[in-house]
Amino acid sequence: MASVANQRFREDEKRRDADHVSFLKHRRFRWLWIALLLCGVSIIGYALIDQEPRPNGGSWYGYTLGTVGLILIVWLSLLGIRKRKISDGAWSLKAWTSAHVYLGLALTVIGTLHTGFQIGWNVHTLAYVLMLIVIFSGIYGVYAYAALPKALSANRGDSTGGEMLDKIADIDRKLDGAAQPLDRRGSDLVIAALGQDVFYGGAFARLTGAYPGCATNSALSGIPASGSEAEARVHELLSNRAEQLAQIRRHLRIKSMLEVWLFIHIPATIALLAALLAHVISVFYYW
Amino acid sequence: MAFLIRTIAVAKSGREIVRDRTVEKDELKVGRSQDCDIHLPDLKVELQHLQLVNSGSGSIDANSLGELPFDLDGQSITQATINADAVAEIAVGPALLEISREVATGSDAPVQIIIKPAPRLKAASEPEAGFLMASTMPSKRAMAWTFFGVIFVLLLSVPIISHQFRTEVENDPEDLDRGAVLMDASWSTGHLSLAHQSLEDNCEACHQTAFVSVQDETCITCHEEIADHAKMPRQLTGMPALSTGDALQWTIAETLGKEGPLGCVSCHTEHEGPTKLEASDEKFCADCHNDMDVRLTDVAFANAGDFGDKHPQFRPKFYTAHFDKKAKRVSLDQKPVEKSGLVFPHDIHVSKTGGAARMAVSLSQYGAPLECGDCHQESKTAPGGFEPVVMEDSCEACHSLVSGKGGNGFTNLRHGDVTDLMEDLAKVNLGSRRAVVAGRGRPGQYGSGGRYYANFGRPMSAYIAINRALEQGGTCGDCHLRTSTNGRPDLIPVNIPDKYIHGGFFPHAAHGDDVAECSDCHATGTSSNATDLLIPDLESCRDCHQGESAVKTEEIVPSSCAMCHGYHTPAIPWHPGDTPEGHPDFPGNGRPDNVAAILSGLRR
Repeated sequence: MASVANQRFREDEKRRDADHVSFLKHRRFRWLWIALLLCGVSIIGYALIDQEPRPNGGSWYGYTLGTVGLILIVWLSLLGIRKRKISDGAWSLKAWTSAHVYLGLALTVIGTLHTGFQIGWNVHTLAYVLMLIVIFSGIYGVYAYAALPKALSANRGDSTGGEMLDKIADIDRKLDGAAQPLDRRGSDLVIAALGQDVFYGGAFARLTGAYPGCATNSALSGIPASGSEAEARVHELLSNRAEQLAQIRRHLRIKSMLEVWLFIHIPATIALLAALLAHVISVFYYW
Repeated sequence: MAFLIRTIAVAKSGREIVRDRTVEKDELKVGRSQDCDIHLPDLKVELQHLQLVNSGSGSIDANSLGELPFDLDGQSITQATINADAVAEIAVGPALLEISREVATGSDAPVQIIIKPAPRLKAASEPEAGFLMASTMPSKRAMAWTFFGVIFVLLLSVPIISHQFRTEVENDPEDLDRGAVLMDASWSTGHLSLAHQSLEDNCEACHQTAFVSVQDETCITCHEEIADHAKMPRQLTGMPALSTGDALQWTIAETLGKEGPLGCVSCHTEHEGPTKLEASDEKFCADCHNDMDVRLTDVAFANAGDFGDKHPQFRPKFYTAHFDKKAKRVSLDQKPVEKSGLVFPHDIHVSKTGGAARMAVSLSQYGAPLECGDCHQESKTAPGGFEPVVMEDSCEACHSLVSGKGGNGFTNLRHGDVTDLMEDLAKVNLGSRRAVVAGRGRPGQYGSGGRYYANFGRPMSAYIAINRALEQGGTCGDCHLRTSTNGRPDLIPVNIPDKYIHGGFFPHAAHGDDVAECSDCHATGTSSNATDLLIPDLESCRDCHQGESAVKTEEIVPSSCAMCHGYHTPAIPWHPGDTPEGHPDFPGNGRPDNVAAILSGLRR
């Protein structure tokens, strides 16, 4: 009996492990080894097979590498469709993702060898460069997904995004009341601070955390703590607001660093598919 | 006069809360300050913002108290007179003040002010959506399709459409600069070679039909003078088998209309950058020629792979027998004898001492012992690189054909035709001579003009030789071999080819004074007979010229096939005028300049 229970426990443990193992380590790096093998074979072939008059995408080896690269690119880009259909087993999404990452990395080698190191201002090199952009943004994405969520939780503490916004709204209400006795200049500063969107700032501001136009900070420096009683109170509230905003902005910074690569990865992938289409058709059109 | 003030607030539920009060004043103050008659707790409102003065009969003067204006019926102003009977709306900060008067109750009716909150702009429905990067970036999908569309249209559709709908023109070598297809420069995989640079904007000059590779026929519209290396079927037989990969590629490519591995473009690859056409490397030739006899069993020439260690002996073409009409190619290994029909010992002529040298020194036209160049004059246009040796220019200064005195000078035997010579000989003895004894005539039959008269003038050996020119020991025999034709004395015709080397070329200029003396290669000093063929053999070339892979030193010149052979033009440099010596630039002399070349170098 005990052995049956043990067996069950082991199986459950295995399943639990499998569920929590990272897509990078999936099946003991199976796809990493496959990708390395693919790269190794490609490099050895490139070095050993004589291509006359010189290595070139149009030699038979060049065509072979190109075909492998094309199939890989199309398959890799299908992850976007695959991930929306949940399934498990040998071709679980984790397996796909693992293969996506490692085969995508292998593409740097295959694609580069396919070029025969001939680079120019043309649609062919455009496809190559777009491919590299996609791959390098993907590498950043893997890094971001591995490293940043921890920082995100650490910054957020116990509060949710909604709670952070509520805190701001609460401060704003107090600020509105406290600012009533202020003169025009002070009022304007407070109005500007209250009127400015919590999410003020573009993508660049989010990524860098630099908000030079922040109205709360302007108000904070414009309304001295040493002024009238009302001003002191407003100053204190503005400090609270700035503190809360800083937390939100740290949150935004990490979150945008976590998301920004997709704004490159996805459009560049689709652009790559277009460039690839133009590359393949043009090569044979002007054969 | 009083103001009737009605405040309308809206509860969260949406219900309106109405409060009325009456202010018994002629002047009303509107502002954020607590002591204002109409208190608007909003930071956009001045502490004392607006004053309303009832000047009777429903006329209201409105004045800003601070710097900020107010809105009257949508207009931003600081001062206005309002007719309450006509109903006016003043906006101060977030509040709307509707000013009116019920005229029906009499001209003293109070002015009514209804205070309503200004309609608020709706807040964003999902405030937390602001946390997403998407709120500050253009949509991924929009970006993706924009990029896709731009690439698809500009880099694919435009070239294809403009290629399909262009007016096709026949290639005119004089005018090839501009093509009609748009945006197809983006398809070019690299710059064209220097020779073809004018075609850069005219892709369709070569890429004429969609999905059909560049055809030989198209190349030949400009390069009509280019000959095949050999007849196509023989080239195909002579080629070594393709590698599996190449064979597969060619099978597919030929099925799709590409012109086999012997088509122009399979060697003359383009779009490799602004390069000069480079001489092919040794391997290019050796691929076929290294073991060609296995495949082409009937070829006349032997295998060749590397000049240093696998090259057949030279087979100069010359006349191997007197009276031959055609020159023959014979290997130098067979110690061939040249039958030029001449008698000419080079050794006597090039010797620095001896009769010939003394003679040359004494003649003003030489003034020194003879040198090769005195007879053999280099020429860029002559087939073998040298003008033919002409007797009158090169020999006659010593080997005189003077036959006597005539007119103001000497008479010569005509050179070149035996019949002319015979005529001239017949006249030789008719020339006048000085009488031996003056003043006393000989008697009778012995006298001048008599039967036994004899001219006993001083004998002159030259005359004697001339006299018997065609006979044994005669002048002609100095240089020519005698024979007889139909019993008549005659000379064997001179048979010297225009050039000896036919399968390759040898630029003498490249081997000029600073490299070698003529006699270093041509053994003139020891040749006592005109039958010696003084063409240097393979071994003598190898003193300096080794194969392509040889290490270059002061003496050793790594030599690939293209140094002496052209592919399309075997006997003339493949790219004349490339360098002043007529030498092409040879591959392998510079350092490899890209990764592919380095890797390719490592492989070998």
